[in-house]
Amino acid sequence: MSKQTQRKSMDYVKKEYKRTRTMPANWYLSSYEYKFNITHMQPFLKKLKEKKLVANKCSGCNRVFFPPRLVCGKCLVKPDRWVDIRDTARVATYAIAYLKDENSEVQEKPMVLVHHDGADTSSIAELAPGVDVKDTYISMPIKAHWKDNPEGGLMDIEYYDLMDDDAEDLNESK
Amino acid sequence: MGRQVAIVSAGYSEHASKRSDVSMPELVNEAIEDCLAKVPSVELKDIDAFVNGNMPAFEGSNIPELWMTDWMGARNKPLMRVTTGGTTGGSVAISGYYTVTAGIPGIDTVLAIAFEQQSQGDTSVGLASVAYGEISILNSLGISYDQLNRLLSAGAAIGVAAYQATTYMSKANITEEDLARVVVQNRRNAAKTWWAHLKMPDLTIADVLDTPYVQYPLRYGMVCPASDGAVAMLFTTEEKAKDMCDIPVYVNGVASVANETAVLGYDGSGSAQLDPSEQLGAMKSADLAYSQAGISFPRKEIDYAEVYAPFPNQELMWVEKLGLFEETTAPEMYETGVTAHKGELPVNCSGGVNSTNAIAASAMERPSEAALQIMGKASNQVPKTVHTSIGSGWGGSLNLITLMAMSDEPKRKWK
Ligand SMILES: [Zn+2]
Repeated sequence: MSKQTQRKSMDYVKKEYKRTRTMPANWYLSSYEYKFNITHMQPFLKKLKEKKLVANKCSGCNRVFFPPRLVCGKCLVKPDRWVDIRDTARVATYAIAYLKDENSEVQEKPMVLVHHDGADTSSIAELAPGVDVKDTYISMPIKAHWKDNPEGGLMDIEYYDLMDDDAEDLNESK
Repeated sequence: MGRQVAIVSAGYSEHASKRSDVSMPELVNEAIEDCLAKVPSVELKDIDAFVNGNMPAFEGSNIPELWMTDWMGARNKPLMRVTTGGTTGGSVAISGYYTVTAGIPGIDTVLAIAFEQQSQGDTSVGLASVAYGEISILNSLGISYDQLNRLLSAGAAIGVAAYQATTYMSKANITEEDLARVVVQNRRNAAKTWWAHLKMPDLTIADVLDTPYVQYPLRYGMVCPASDGAVAMLFTTEEKAKDMCDIPVYVNGVASVANETAVLGYDGSGSAQLDPSEQLGAMKSADLAYSQAGISFPRKEIDYAEVYAPFPNQELMWVEKLGLFEETTAPEMYETGVTAHKGELPVNCSGGVNSTNAIAASAMERPSEAALQIMGKASNQVPKTVHTSIGSGWGGSLNLITLMAMSDEPKRKWK
């Protein structure tokens, strides 16, 4: 189905309402200072500069949190052990966003939840720019693509590159 | 110790994308009048307390419950506002139940009201007030607001739903056509409900599939509208209920269970929910409410269900997670007409949230419609006799699920 034939609206049984008096008004929202504890992130952010990934692990349930978490919501204890995490991962799930670029043309952007090998949590990320959206599937193997000069921030992993997958049931899982 | 609680009436305002003819208190008043018209023996003076709720800041008006005190008839009476995001309506209904079951002297009859007039304001500002705290920590960790916007375009309600949809579709091995079928059922049902918003009596699967994607795999035609509207429900004690109406509906079980945030997670640390369609909160909610209500075989014992589902994939997911069907069999039930108006287990005959979404009101329109189906007073009444029904609610990325199980007999297992 081409984009031209697709309709932008759907007809439904509408009822007209009279207009009551309206009064225009504005809310000028203030600026806020949210308080956060990010001490648990520091070892992780420091290691990012060396292009290494670490996660913290709860000694109660042995779950590995990547990125690190302040407190384990299941056991209500602070995860206190650090473990290395590989830079390979799998697509936990994905969706495709349709966003306008500078020239107001709609671009397809696959957004993925990334599940790193060795971790028990997933986080939101982007795939490499050239990836054809139609190739995305659940549990697709991917690999972190590092920035040239990591600065110790979450965007040091710019995006994720695809890895080869030669599993026999590949077409089925797609 | 707690008293048995009954629903004796429920009423609605008309829902539309722009109710430009009424102010917010007038909109609420419409729902209350419709609610009280169904129980002629009840007057405003018989109502002992009020619970109401809407989304915080969505209409740009703080403490609206004080603005509309007189429009609700709540002057000099106990009044409480509850707001829990997408589940606000579910929480308001549950609060109404709590207020009656508590047995406070002099408080027997409680009116619960949920409303939203989205056309009045900017919902994105309201949403920002909900999510900004979480977002700003990501900013402090090195993601610019620009990039965040891009990432989080998949992070609001539709973003979470899109992830749920991809996982569910791959698990149940279904296509977009199966999603469109759910939409068609809902919108055709909406056409027979007087207060519903998107009434599409002649909608076909092809029509739905002919709209562009909003967020893959969800198309424009599958997404819920933004509506203005209000709903009211009247709760009272077992004894008083018998005098007020012919068939009181007894609330036998309630639950409100949250699971870990999906997608974003706490403090930007991701989510342990690798499968967004896992829905442990919904399963826990069902366990809790059904055990209070003495429902052991939900599939057999429940005659009617109103499930909170702005997006069709969620309706499929939740009818399974709430124990109505086996895992991944829901699409088949929609195809074979089990869930249709004349079916064995009708679902969302009001058109559901998919056809009408006045945010805070939506989660209360589910239990209210489930109750009216038992009373035989629903707008799109099912032909079969309904003895036991459920109404659920869902809120945003926190995966908070509210559930109310009700029946025409007081069957609550605890006293
Ligand atoms: Zn733990």
